[in-house]
Amino acid sequence: MPEAVLRAEWVSVSFGGLRAVDGVALEVGPRELVGVIGPNGAGKTTFFHTLSGVLAPTAGRIWVAGADLTGRPAHVFAMHGVARTFQTPRVFRGMSAEDNVRFGLAFAGRRRRHPHDAFDDARSILGFLGLRSEAAVAAGALPPARQRLLEIGMALGARPQVLLLDEVAAGLTESEVQATAKLIARVRSELGLAVIWIEHAVRALLDCVERVVVLHQGRKIADGVPRAVARDPAVVEAYLGIEGEHT
Amino acid sequence: MSDWLRQVLIAAALAGAALATAPWVLGEFEVSLALTILMYVGLAVSWALFCGPTLYLSLATSAFFGIGAYVTAWGLGTLPYAVVVPLGGLAAAAFAALVGAAVLHLRGAYFAVITFGLGELVRHAIAYFEKSYFMTVGRVLTDTPEKTTVYLTVLAIALAAVIAYALVRESRFGLALGGIGADEQRAQTLGVNTRAVKVAGFTLSALFAGMLGAAIAVRWIYLDPPTVFNPFIGFQTVLIAMLGGAHTLLGPIVSAVVFSLFTEFLRLRFPYAYLLVLGTLLIIVVLYLPRGFAQLWEGWRARRDRPARAAESPRA
Repeated sequence: MPEAVLRAEWVSVSFGGLRAVDGVALEVGPRELVGVIGPNGAGKTTFFHTLSGVLAPTAGRIWVAGADLTGRPAHVFAMHGVARTFQTPRVFRGMSAEDNVRFGLAFAGRRRRHPHDAFDDARSILGFLGLRSEAAVAAGALPPARQRLLEIGMALGARPQVLLLDEVAAGLTESEVQATAKLIARVRSELGLAVIWIEHAVRALLDCVERVVVLHQGRKIADGVPRAVARDPAVVEAYLGIEGEHT
Repeated sequence: MSDWLRQVLIAAALAGAALATAPWVLGEFEVSLALTILMYVGLAVSWALFCGPTLYLSLATSAFFGIGAYVTAWGLGTLPYAVVVPLGGLAAAAFAALVGAAVLHLRGAYFAVITFGLGELVRHAIAYFEKSYFMTVGRVLTDTPEKTTVYLTVLAIALAAVIAYALVRESRFGLALGGIGADEQRAQTLGVNTRAVKVAGFTLSALFAGMLGAAIAVRWIYLDPPTVFNPFIGFQTVLIAMLGGAHTLLGPIVSAVVFSLFTEFLRLRFPYAYLLVLGTLLIIVVLYLPRGFAQLWEGWRARRDRPARAAESPRA
């Protein structure tokens, strides 16, 4: 088996007495597309924070492409090829879309190389995302759905090996969700990145990924192909059952 | 090299050449006033170099300035003026690097208060040190250089600050500072070593303030901590930069000129009311022009160019 691009070993995060993440292990190989789902407060975002170095885990270790980066700051994770988006799009609002993408290229992406020509420069990344016509627009002036796309573009500017997407489809219309799912599939198949995708809109995610991890109350309760996971009684009880009551 | 950078370098060269003739063509009072203006240009521009893009509010300028001045007080006589001045800058920069590493994780009012406190701390530390080891409260400066030398030195430092500002803004370092101001955590997840960049920016800004303090200290014949660690210098610097627009280069420069002349006028005409006027002005700007007078100019330009460009980075 090839070396994992990202490996979390029994990662835990405690805030005071609260265990937000409780001994989660996850190994993601090159070009793998993994979904992470779970009800609100399951610890998905907190777990993501540890995978991107934004938050140091209270216990456990994080390996990126064979390097133990546990406790290192976020920029070191970025240098090793981990890029992420945030739940609410965090673009540099005053800068143009092109400058937003250029930022990642100027720092984490500067010494990293990627064979695909979509990574050549800010324009080619915007082109890959279908944002080329908005290159000169101030990021803060873009509609929310375009800002989410742009944030993916900022992350791609870091020329990563693994892309962490935190609820990139939240608040989008049905057709926008489909377009986002298609884009994520292309990031994997065309650009060859490993993708870990957290989402609340479960349906779109299950249709898109080949492997899904379910978190519940900070623990990993399932990990496998979507069809099997969706039938797992523990998952149905913890998550899909609750979701079913709402929809 | 961008057009903007080239323009700044040319303008700095021309202004520098013109201003260098001042001691020979202007009277003593005018040269002394120009010296004050140049000092505030240097202080405000170097303050804006770090605080403009990062949106940090530092009140440490008087600490850096005072440290530089004390290097002169201690060193002049044994060391030549040309050595004491850079040494003062380096001492202030070293202090900034040390302190910056400890306090730059703070933001907003906390950072402002702690940087103000640092100035007071250094002032009292030096006063105590002088009293216990040298049995003195102040120092008389002898062997001071010619007035022209002082003027030209301060001019050179102010120009260096302007050029440093322009070079930083055009560099990756400047981009990183801007990213820290826009969204520090986002910048970090895109590969910016935010801690190192902040300490470096703070240190560079202190280098100029320290050199200015060291260069201009010889103006005072008698030096003591309350004179050189005057919080007023720090406040005035922040005020000038914010009035002009700390996110621009031209703003703090123009503001330093106007403000110094205005202050001089008020101090001569209304010695008791002038602080009242300055305070009122600051309140008005903070309330209605948070981006300084540069905001008026940018608004006018945006209205003029509206159809042409949808997005542009504010530059002046």
